[in-house]
Amino acid sequence: MAEPNETMTTASAIISFAEKLEEDSFRFYGELAEKYTEERETFLSFVKESEKNKVLLTRTYQETITDAIEACFSFKFLDLRDYLVETTLAEETNCKDALKRALEFEEKGSRFYMDVAERSRSLLATIPLAFRKVAEVRNKRKLKVKSLLEKLT
Amino acid sequence: MTVLEEPIKEVLTLRNYVGGDWVDSQGELIDVVNPATCKVIAKVPISSSDEIDAAVEAAKEAFPDWRRTPPLARARCLFRLKELMEKRFEELSRIQTMEHGKTIDESRGETRRGIENVEVATGIPSLMMGYNLEDVASGIDEYVIRQPLGVFGIIPPFNFPFMVPLWFAPYAVATGNCVIIKPSPHVPISQVKIAELVDEAGFPSGIWNVVNGAQTIASHMLDHRDIKGICFVGSTAVGRDIYRRCGETGKRVIAQCGAKNFLLVMPDADLERTIAACMTSFYGNTGQRCLSGANLVVVGEGLNEHEYDSFYEKVVNAFVDAASKIRVGYGLDESVQMGPVQNKHRKERILGFIQKGIEEGAKIRLDGRMAKLLGGWPHTCFLNPTVFEDVTPDMTIGREEIFGPVASIMRARSLDEAVEVIHRNPFGNAASIFTSSGKWAREFQYRVQCGNIGINIGIVAPMAFFPFSGMKDSFFGVLHGQGQEAVRFFTESKVVIQRWF
Repeated sequence: MAEPNETMTTASAIISFAEKLEEDSFRFYGELAEKYTEERETFLSFVKESEKNKVLLTRTYQETITDAIEACFSFKFLDLRDYLVETTLAEETNCKDALKRALEFEEKGSRFYMDVAERSRSLLATIPLAFRKVAEVRNKRKLKVKSLLEKLT
Repeated sequence: MTVLEEPIKEVLTLRNYVGGDWVDSQGELIDVVNPATCKVIAKVPISSSDEIDAAVEAAKEAFPDWRRTPPLARARCLFRLKELMEKRFEELSRIQTMEHGKTIDESRGETRRGIENVEVATGIPSLMMGYNLEDVASGIDEYVIRQPLGVFGIIPPFNFPFMVPLWFAPYAVATGNCVIIKPSPHVPISQVKIAELVDEAGFPSGIWNVVNGAQTIASHMLDHRDIKGICFVGSTAVGRDIYRRCGETGKRVIAQCGAKNFLLVMPDADLERTIAACMTSFYGNTGQRCLSGANLVVVGEGLNEHEYDSFYEKVVNAFVDAASKIRVGYGLDESVQMGPVQNKHRKERILGFIQKGIEEGAKIRLDGRMAKLLGGWPHTCFLNPTVFEDVTPDMTIGREEIFGPVASIMRARSLDEAVEVIHRNPFGNAASIFTSSGKWAREFQYRVQCGNIGINIGIVAPMAFFPFSGMKDSFFGVLHGQGQEAVRFFTESKVVIQRWF
């Protein structure tokens, strides 16, 4: 995947970024499931969701990309750096800090999917639909992470 | 800048696929060059006429059994082919970028368009049905049966190495015919890869053949008495010749040819979205599409002189601004929006047109001759977008097909004048209007003599279940590629009138 920067506008770059986001998610939550076993099931369900999200996004893109859509010019004014979150946790990170990072990750992820859904409204219906669906998954996850955080405080 | 992994790691030596076997050609091997990196990625044989004869023999031999194979069983071969294409989607797409130069988004779009034709052809048990009527006379019934004809030749162009043969081949084989595909020697790899999948999908031997080569074998196909029809996509001069020669030998022909496509911008157009659509239209596939925008006509219908000048400037400035921001480089770099042209001779030809435009008095607003690139690729095949304004329909750049990333902006005071400009051009492939007015859109659709009409659409690419149309010098033939028309092209309608005593 190309390094994200403010000039990224191709559909391919957006999908690669989304795929990376989901890959980071299943790695990140996989680590949390191993480290913080009391919430293992919740984190593993996030891993599964992200795997499904990635399949959905890749499939939607591959099944709808044609020269009928302005694939190289659809996502202008999108700075992908705005959605980046560091997902590698230091060894000594406690559960609370890890959850705070998870919350930031979900917030930015959800915002990313809503932003690209908005920008792809003029494309085939399945494209914004897929982005919105993943944004909803991330929103629900955000609520779960929040409640886990509240349990700890 | 990171480039996606290249699927071709070492120089491939391509072979022909004839009668279900991979055959080494006796012909000379020539280089297939990645236009972005200038590296040789394959060697392709220039086969001889004898090798075409062998393929025709194999196809002829396969035809009787294939014809007798139930349509549903033929469709199942296509279902398997589709599945294999889906599995190899990314590899097939990246190969197109490597051999042609287009961006990865464009290549994936091409792969999808190709697969869609395979999907549509899987519906052959319904698509191929005839029709009947009882009691056309006392006790007499009449019906039509669609029957395959035999062997068909497919001669595709260089600009869509994967997709164009799939406008025809899936329908040909689904209806019970056999095909011989002669890919463009500039971009032969995709068709060889498809043949590998055909083999894996378990098509019987001889149904789908690929013979690599150049003009000589294409010409031999036209004269071959056992080839029943030819599907050609390419230049008008060649298409016209093919149509004539096939007429002499009694072959069916689909010849989809050159183009000079006009895009009209009306004063009520949504300018932001129009310009975005124009960028894809004029510069997508580096302008090497028969559906590419060539002439942008700014129409001043209903405006006074002052308003028109101001509208014209606004459109030109927005167009030039957007074109100047297009990022050019290797198509496997995901941040790139436009790749190189397919080879250096094409680039020289395009440069010749740009020079001609300057000499004939068009005003160059954006000069793409000195390419600025993302990445340190050799400049050999690269150009940046070029924009001319104050182009007239009689100038060379306003009249002839450039087939490159060059836009000519013209003026027309009214819709009538714009339509007349379109009709003065000999081509009739595609034309688009950008407007919010249903009245103007309907008028345009009704009057314009082009096969593919776009209303607020930059690239008027018909889906697989619609015919890829064309008129005037852009098409020779009657039936078109894709969908129902392709099914009719590849079948004879046999009429049976029946009475039982």
